[in-house]
Amino acid sequence: MAAVGVNELHKDDLPWVIEYDETKCIRCGKCTAACSFGAIKPVVEERRKSGSIAQKPSFEKIVVIEQCVSHSNYCRGCGMCSYVCPNGAIKPVRNKDDRYSIRYRADKGESLKKGGRSNLNTEGRTLDKIKIGRISQMTDPSLDATRHTFELRTPFGRVLSADKLGLENSNGKLDLTSSLPPNRWIYPVIMGDMSIGAVSWRMWEAMAIATAYLNEVLGIPIRMCTGEGGIPVRLLKSKYVKYMILQIASGHFGWNRIIQAMPDMVEDPAGILIKIGQGAKPGDGGLLMANKVAKYVQEIRGVPKADLLSPPTHQGLYSIEESVQKMFLSMNAAFKFKVPVAIKVAASVTSVAVYNNLLRDPYNIVGGFFLDGLAGGTGAAHEISLNHTGHPITSKLRDCYLAAVHQGRQGEIPLFAGGGLGQTGSLAADAFKLICLGANGVFTGRLLLQIAGCIGNDLEKCNACNTGLCPAGIATQDMCLTKRLDIDKVAQNLVNYFVATDLELKKLMAPVGNSALPIGRSDALVTVDKHVAQRLDIQYVC
Amino acid sequence: METCKIKTLENNERMSTQQLLQTIYAKIEEGYTDFEIDACGQHNIGGSLWAREKGNKLTFKVTNPGQRVGSMAMAGTKILVEGSAPADVGWLNSGAEIVVKGDCGDTAAHCAAGGKIYVGGRVGTRSGALMKHDPKFNPPQFWVLKNTGSFSFEFMGGGIGVICGYGCDYMPSVMGERSCVGMVGGVIYFRGKIADVAPSVTVLPLDSEDMAFLDKGFDNFLKAIDKESLKQELTDYSQWKKIVPKPLNEREETFSVADFRRTNWVEGGIFGDFIEEDFRVYPLTTTGEGRLNKPIWNKETCIDCKICLNNCPQKAISECEKIYSSDDTKCIGCGICAAVCPRASWTMHSNIREIS
Repeated sequence: MAAVGVNELHKDDLPWVIEYDETKCIRCGKCTAACSFGAIKPVVEERRKSGSIAQKPSFEKIVVIEQCVSHSNYCRGCGMCSYVCPNGAIKPVRNKDDRYSIRYRADKGESLKKGGRSNLNTEGRTLDKIKIGRISQMTDPSLDATRHTFELRTPFGRVLSADKLGLENSNGKLDLTSSLPPNRWIYPVIMGDMSIGAVSWRMWEAMAIATAYLNEVLGIPIRMCTGEGGIPVRLLKSKYVKYMILQIASGHFGWNRIIQAMPDMVEDPAGILIKIGQGAKPGDGGLLMANKVAKYVQEIRGVPKADLLSPPTHQGLYSIEESVQKMFLSMNAAFKFKVPVAIKVAASVTSVAVYNNLLRDPYNIVGGFFLDGLAGGTGAAHEISLNHTGHPITSKLRDCYLAAVHQGRQGEIPLFAGGGLGQTGSLAADAFKLICLGANGVFTGRLLLQIAGCIGNDLEKCNACNTGLCPAGIATQDMCLTKRLDIDKVAQNLVNYFVATDLELKKLMAPVGNSALPIGRSDALVTVDKHVAQRLDIQYVC
Repeated sequence: METCKIKTLENNERMSTQQLLQTIYAKIEEGYTDFEIDACGQHNIGGSLWAREKGNKLTFKVTNPGQRVGSMAMAGTKILVEGSAPADVGWLNSGAEIVVKGDCGDTAAHCAAGGKIYVGGRVGTRSGALMKHDPKFNPPQFWVLKNTGSFSFEFMGGGIGVICGYGCDYMPSVMGERSCVGMVGGVIYFRGKIADVAPSVTVLPLDSEDMAFLDKGFDNFLKAIDKESLKQELTDYSQWKKIVPKPLNEREETFSVADFRRTNWVEGGIFGDFIEEDFRVYPLTTTGEGRLNKPIWNKETCIDCKICLNNCPQKAISECEKIYSSDDTKCIGCGICAAVCPRASWTMHSNIREIS
C-alpha cells in the first residue's frame, strides 16, 4: 500500500469497517462478487514467511480481501458479503471513530446525500409512549377480533355536512338537487407514494400487484399512491388503475402520458394526491440522481438522463387560496369532478393554518389533507434536510384534528397521517393510535421497502438509495441488481403484512369496543408521559 | 304425589326469582317431582335440580318464564314451556329435555353440553354458541323448527344442531349471518339456504347415518312440539345439508399472489412496453449477465504464468495455445484473477447497466 498522508481518506474515517478473518476465508470470491458498492476487493498481500532474523527472509504472496477506501466505493454496511460468505469470515462493523460526514464535506465541497430516513432522534417516539388504555369490559362489550365483523373503511374525498347535502323533499321522496363531491370508502392505510425511478420497476410493480390482489382476492380496499414519477400506460389503461392514487408534485413528472391515456382509460383512478412537501425533507423538492434515470424513466417522465430535481415548491402557487383555485380545481376538473383530490404537505409549524384555510373550501373540491412527519423515508435527500428539518407527526395531526373539531367540521376534509410509521415493526399500532387521535387513515412507504427486503435502518445501515446501487434491487435501475428482487415474493410479503395488519387493527378495535374505525376516539388512549398527555389532550396515567 | 302448582303473581304481589326458586327447593325436599309454574318473568326455572328420591324425574310445566329457563338443568329433568321464552334457554344444559313451544330469545342452548332442547319456533342470535360434547355423556341436541339469528353456533365444540327452516323459504339464510365462526366440533343439520358461514367449516351433503339419526330424532322432536304432521315435509333430505368443522390438517387452497400475477395481472407486466420481463431472480452471486463485474483479458501483456488459472475459485478460466478465456457460465466476477495477475492482464469491468 502506498504511503498515506494525514489528509487522505483513511479506513478509519469511514462509517463501516470490514471485519475479515483470513484464516476462515477460502477465497471463493463470493463477497467481492456480491458487493454492489465495490467496497471490497481481492488483493495480493506479500508476507514474510520465516520469523527468524538469522535466516535470509523469504516471502510468500497470498490473496486476501481488502476494504476499499474512496468516496465512490465505500462500505455502507449492507452486509451482503456476510450473507454470501460460506464461513462467516467477513462482515461490516460500525466504526465508532467514523468521521465521514466531515471528510466528505471537506474533501468535496458538496452537501452529503443519502437515502432512507432521518438518522437522528430515532428513540423516544411519541407513539410508543401511548397505550390503548380504555378496554371495554363490563362497561360495554368488547369484541372478538377474529370473529366479529369490523368496518375499517374510511372516506377519501370531501365529506359534506348534513346541511350542505343538497337534499330536497319532493312528495315524500328525497331528491338530490346538487351533485355531491366524489368520495371513496377505502382502507385506512394508503401504500406507496414512491416514484418509478426512486424504486426499481420490479419493486413498483410488486406494490401494484399486491394492491390489486388485496382488493380483488381478499377484499381489502387498499389504495396505492403512484409517487411523482408517472405511471405506466399499461396500468393506466387497465382496470386496476381504480386502485391507484395519481400523484402530481412540483416536477409534474409523468402527466403528459396520463393525459394522453385519458380517452382510453376504462376506470377512473382512485384519487389524485397533490404533493406539496415531504416529511423526510420538508422544504426541499424531489431528487432523483442521474444514475437512476434509466431510459424508461426518461420516457415516462419526459426528461433526459440527468439529476432530476423537483422544485421545492409548486411554481406559480403563491398562496393557499391560489393553490385551492389552481391545483384543486384543475385536478378535480382533470377527471370531470369524479375523482377525489387530496393534498400532501410536510408537517410543519404552519400546518394548522393551511388546514384551517382548506376547511373553508367553498367549492367542495378539497378531498383530503395528508400530513407527512419527519421520520418519513426518501430515495435521496441532502443529509442536512433529512436529519435537521421536519416536524413530528403526532402533535401536528392532533392539532389539525382539534382545529376542525373546534369549528364542528371534523371529518369534512379527511386527515391522513404518515412519516415513520411501522418504524418499530407494527404499522397497526401506529395507525390505530393516530386514528384515535383524529386521523381518518395513514400512509406508509419506507416500511413497504423493508417488507420487500430493504436492509437499511435508522442506525445508518445502508441507506444508499441515492447511489442506485441498492443491494436488494429495490432502489436501483440496474438490470443485475433489480433482478435480485423477486416480484412474486415481494408482492406476497406485502400482501401477508397487510393481512396481518388487518387482523392487528381489529385486535386493537375489539378491546376498545369499536366495530367501526375509532376516528378521534382519544378517550381510548392513555400515556405515562405528562407532557404528551397535556400536548395531545389525552389521559395521563401512572 | 300430586302436582305442585305455583302461581307467582297473586293480589298484585309478584314473587321474586329468589322466592320462587326457594319455594321449589322446599317442595322438592317435601318430595314433589311435578311442577306447574305460572311464572311472571322469574329467572333460572328448572335448573340444577334433582329429585329427593334417587331415580325420580322432575317435570316443570312453565308459562311466561324469565331468562335462563333450564339453565344448568340435569338429566332426569323435563321442562315444557308453553309459548315463548326469553334469552339463554338451556344455558349450560347438562342433560334435561327442554321444550319451548314458541320462540326463544338470544343465546338459546348456549354452552349446552348434554340433553335435548326442542324449539317450536325461532331462536335468537348466538344460539347454539359454545355447545360442547363431553365424551362420557351423550352429545347435546338442539332442535329448532324455524331459524336462528346471526352468529349462531359460534365457537361450537361439540353436539348436534338441527335447524329445520320451516316456513323460512323467503329468508336469505336460516342461520342468519356469519354463523359457525370459531366452530371446532359437532355437526349442524340445516334445511334451506344459509349465508356466509365461517371459512373454517365445510358444508356437506347428508349420508345415510345422518338421515337415520334425523329420522329417529324427528319423531321425538315433532311430538314434543305438537307438530307431528310436518314429518313428511321436513324429512325430504334432498333439502338438507350439514355443517362440520374442517379437519385441522385441511389447509385452505390458496390462490397465491404469483398465481394472481400469472392469471389476472396485466399481461407481460405493466412495464412490458419497456422491459421484456422474464421474472427470473438472480442470487446475490451469479454468473453470466447477472454478474456485477466481468473480467476482460489482454493478450498483449499476458506472460502465460497460469497464476490466474490456479487461483480462479470457479475454475472459469481456461487456456488454449496461450489464449486465455473466462467462461461466462462459471465466472461470478469476483476479481481474483485481476488481483493475482502480475501483469494486470485481467481487468474487471462493471457489468452494471440500466435496462434499455
